Amino acid sequence: MKRTAVAAVVALLAALNARAAAHGEYQEFVRKSSGRPVDCALCHAHSNGPEGTAAGQIGSLSAEELSRLGRARAAFEPGANVDSPILNDFGDLILQRVGKKRVLELRSAPDRLPDELGVASDLDADGVPDAREYLEGTHPLIASDGDPWSLFVHNVRRHVFQLVMITAATLITLFGLGNLLHGFAVRLRAKESAGKGAGT
Amino acid sequence: MKLGEIAGGTATFVRERFPVEKLNAESMLTKKVVPVHRMSWAYYLGGLALFFFLVQIVTGLMLLFYYQPTVSDAHASVEYITQHVSGGALVRNLHAWSSSAMILSIIVHVLTTFAMKAFAKPRELTWVTGVALAMLVFGFGFTGYLLPWNQIAVNATKVGLQSIEAVGQYLPGEMATWPTYVRETIQGEAAVGQATLSRFYALHVIVLPFLVAGLLGLHLFQVQIHGMSRGVDSERVGSQKFFPFFVIKDLSVWGVAFLVLFVLGLCLPFESFFAYPLMEPFDPLGSTPEGIKPEWYFFFVYYPLELLPYWAVMLGMTAAVVGLFVAPWILRGASRRTLRAIAIAAAVYLVVITVFGQPIYEALKGVNP
Repeated sequence: MKRTAVAAVVALLAALNARAAAHGEYQEFVRKSSGRPVDCALCHAHSNGPEGTAAGQIGSLSAEELSRLGRARAAFEPGANVDSPILNDFGDLILQRVGKKRVLELRSAPDRLPDELGVASDLDADGVPDAREYLEGTHPLIASDGDPWSLFVHNVRRHVFQLVMITAATLITLFGLGNLLHGFAVRLRAKESAGKGAGT
Repeated sequence: MKLGEIAGGTATFVRERFPVEKLNAESMLTKKVVPVHRMSWAYYLGGLALFFFLVQIVTGLMLLFYYQPTVSDAHASVEYITQHVSGGALVRNLHAWSSSAMILSIIVHVLTTFAMKAFAKPRELTWVTGVALAMLVFGFGFTGYLLPWNQIAVNATKVGLQSIEAVGQYLPGEMATWPTYVRETIQGEAAVGQATLSRFYALHVIVLPFLVAGLLGLHLFQVQIHGMSRGVDSERVGSQKFFPFFVIKDLSVWGVAFLVLFVLGLCLPFESFFAYPLMEPFDPLGSTPEGIKPEWYFFFVYYPLELLPYWAVMLGMTAAVVGLFVAPWILRGASRRTLRAIAIAAAVYLVVITVFGQPIYEALKGVNP
């Protein structure tokens, strides 16, 4: 009973605070700095943000998830183990690295968030650090989303063995076809000279 | 003209396009020669388009094993293919890259064939089937774009279907309602939904492949029976045997194309050129995200539609399509020099509007489309 009451209060507070929790300043900054359209899915579990009743939004949370949400919102200092049901892994990472207090402070200077995140984290392992993905408006959790050239270079390094093998296979095939062509040309010339010889 | 004369003329036309004396392997294969000159590289473009089409078939069949053509599961099944199926991301990426490569090689093939006056008698049917194949390939692009059922797919399809209906305002009387019927027939229901997805899926994987197979057969048959056109006015034109020399060189080009395609498929996600909100599942209740556009190969009609009156663009495009189909007859007397100038102008237009369409739009309108 007590747990349900606490959950209800947390849900009410969360609903009242939902718009502020979405932190549109970050989204606006990313859109302007990158020139790419972005939505709440950059940090949240749902692309329309935390408000609503769909999966990943506050209205759909169970008591256990509301409890996790409460703990995430209480993570004011960096270093806390955050697992918010309305944030994705990148949203959780931001809270873990900089803390809720700093997230609120940085709303007036969202360009400084990448410095505070550092370059070590790359959640989708696509070779582009999360902080850079934030600046470039690409998704830190989608490996196929990122600066095309950076992804290409990273994937070439990652698949170097396969690329060497396929290049070798192609070159060998081309070598074989070239030799075949040469063989046919020699045969044709021999045939032509034999024809000329017979004619004379 | 009397009926007998028309029938006689038709019979002569058919006889010349399907010469019985050449219907043997010797004429169509071993005795066939390919001209050698400075434009000889253009003879490989048709084969290149065929290669990419074959890649489309193979990768498309692989995708069919997992793809679910329902509005509730289509996006999830594509995500499943990309993230959980062994080699799924590679196959899907190869499918995406080879579709673009196929369309690019077809566009260049059409332009070079036009510039070389390869449509001249007796190759009119080769040309007409080639232009029809190009149209069908654009149909493949349009229908395939919807299948992942993401934001850009559904919203771009809506725009495309609306532009069909807009033709009605310029048609007289009862005909004004025809484009609406066409749109409703393609769409299958009041809005783009399950019926649309089912129809596009059927068109993409059954109807269009069968049509392409039939037309491609006729196209290749005509190419083999009449051979490659001379292509240039120069007196000094060499020749090489089609088999084995040209075939081996063609296979070598296919090998290089496969390598390039494989490297792209493995290392450069096609989706990285799109903003991630456009790749999210379509939300019928949500707002339309920014940046909805068709695929790059529709930019030549998309940006003019955004910048010019609808009727002007439609008139221009209709004239261009009809002109392409009847080119062998209306340009019968045109010199290769004139045709080359037209092809270069068309190529410049296509490159400029495709590469610089967005900056041009922004410069002229001052906003994003």
